[in-house]
Amino acid sequence: MKIIISLLILSTLSLSGCSSLGVKPWERDILARDDMALDNAPMDSGFDDHIYFSKEASSGGKSFGGGGCGCN
Amino acid sequence: MNSKPVNTKKSKNIRNTLATATGCLLGVTAQAQSANDWETDVSVLIYNETDRVSAFEPAISLKKTYEDDSVLGFKLIYDALTGASHNGAAESDEVQTFTRPSGKGSYETAAGDVPLDDTFRDSRGSFSVNYEQPIGRFNKMIYGGNISAEHDFTSMSGSATYLHDMNQRNTTLSFGVSFEYDDITPEGGIPVALSEMKANTQTQERAGDADTRTMSEVLFGVTQVIDRYTLVQLNYGYSQSSGYHSDPYKIVSVLDNNGDLVAANGLNGTYIYENRPDSRTKQSLYGKVKRYIGGDVADISYRYMWDDWDVASHTIDTHYRFNMSDSWYIEPHVRYYQQQEAEFYRYSLSSSETPEYVTADYRLGDMTATTIGAKVGFMAGGYANSVRLEMYQQTGDESPSDVDALILQYNISF
Repeated sequence: MKIIISLLILSTLSLSGCSSLGVKPWERDILARDDMALDNAPMDSGFDDHIYFSKEASSGGKSFGGGGCGCN
Repeated sequence: MNSKPVNTKKSKNIRNTLATATGCLLGVTAQAQSANDWETDVSVLIYNETDRVSAFEPAISLKKTYEDDSVLGFKLIYDALTGASHNGAAESDEVQTFTRPSGKGSYETAAGDVPLDDTFRDSRGSFSVNYEQPIGRFNKMIYGGNISAEHDFTSMSGSATYLHDMNQRNTTLSFGVSFEYDDITPEGGIPVALSEMKANTQTQERAGDADTRTMSEVLFGVTQVIDRYTLVQLNYGYSQSSGYHSDPYKIVSVLDNNGDLVAANGLNGTYIYENRPDSRTKQSLYGKVKRYIGGDVADISYRYMWDDWDVASHTIDTHYRFNMSDSWYIEPHVRYYQQQEAEFYRYSLSSSETPEYVTADYRLGDMTATTIGAKVGFMAGGYANSVRLEMYQQTGDESPSDVDALILQYNISF
């Protein structure tokens, strides 16, 4: 639990320091590439989420899944 | 006559250039889409476990971006499952006989084998819709809806996510809520929790034909641009579910003090139907870093998930995309997963034990799983294609946990 609290504090602190991070609007050429999208293969990740949801005791975390399954 | 197409093409090029330039100035990360274009993805997945379940899963996804930057998407999935599934019982040095879930008929497991119900057969259809709506220059709403149906399970869910851009769009905050309703209608009805399995010549106690479960979830997220090459995402998720959580087809072996079968109810062993708590609270922390490295793209993510069943898991997932040229790439993928068992997980019980909750479903036991594979992407006929081949391997304390699977996927984008 201590680790989680530390991580939350760390992420809050890093968020407040975010104004110094980042790029100017004209420096987004690389970030705008298709392969730099956070989820650049949604079909793959959709299949994977379903497989791992069906075969393991964990799910979620990334985004809202859909599809449900009576398998777990 | 000849000049018209040239002019149209030229003006379209100019429009696309302007749209891209405007997108860059506004910090829009997605590529600008010209109006009236549907982006289509067609995929087929083959999932094949050695001696157990096989799945064939075609899917189609359609997406359209409108001039006001709103995006509408649909996805349709069909899933055909066949094969054998572990019924929960422990291995034995004697032949074991089990009653089929319907109560009509039985099946046998040879001495020393993992008890598998070989009549596992199902098909699933799933339809989802998504709509993204920009609100002013810095906010966006994403709505989602999903319905999924199998012969013994129906699930409906809806979600809404609010996103806010700040720090010159270098930071995006998100907050989402979702709700899911599941209807469970097992083959043969809902078995009475902890009741003993009876031979198919006897009457099994049932707690009705159907049961339900609901789940509510919230997800907080931060996405941060670190520099021209690096993106970071952090999420925290909290979900609470209540209702029927047991697997109606799973049983637990009850053995004598020597670990041998105890004949009962017309069967040569004693087996009770599992019972899980009727609520579950799950939490997760998820982080992902994505970085452009000299023409290639690498990402790594980590998730820590824990719940009030005492399950805790670590997942590390990483890809490295070697962009060989503009028209093809190779992307190796490695995933490592490790989970700690639920507090009520037991491989088997002894006759003197009377637990309130118990499951022998290996998916709630101690487990380690690895996925290793690669994807190759290439342009063919003007379309983006990809083929993915991966090996998925689960291991745990007992043999039912040892599962090897092959994952093969083909994708084409129009």
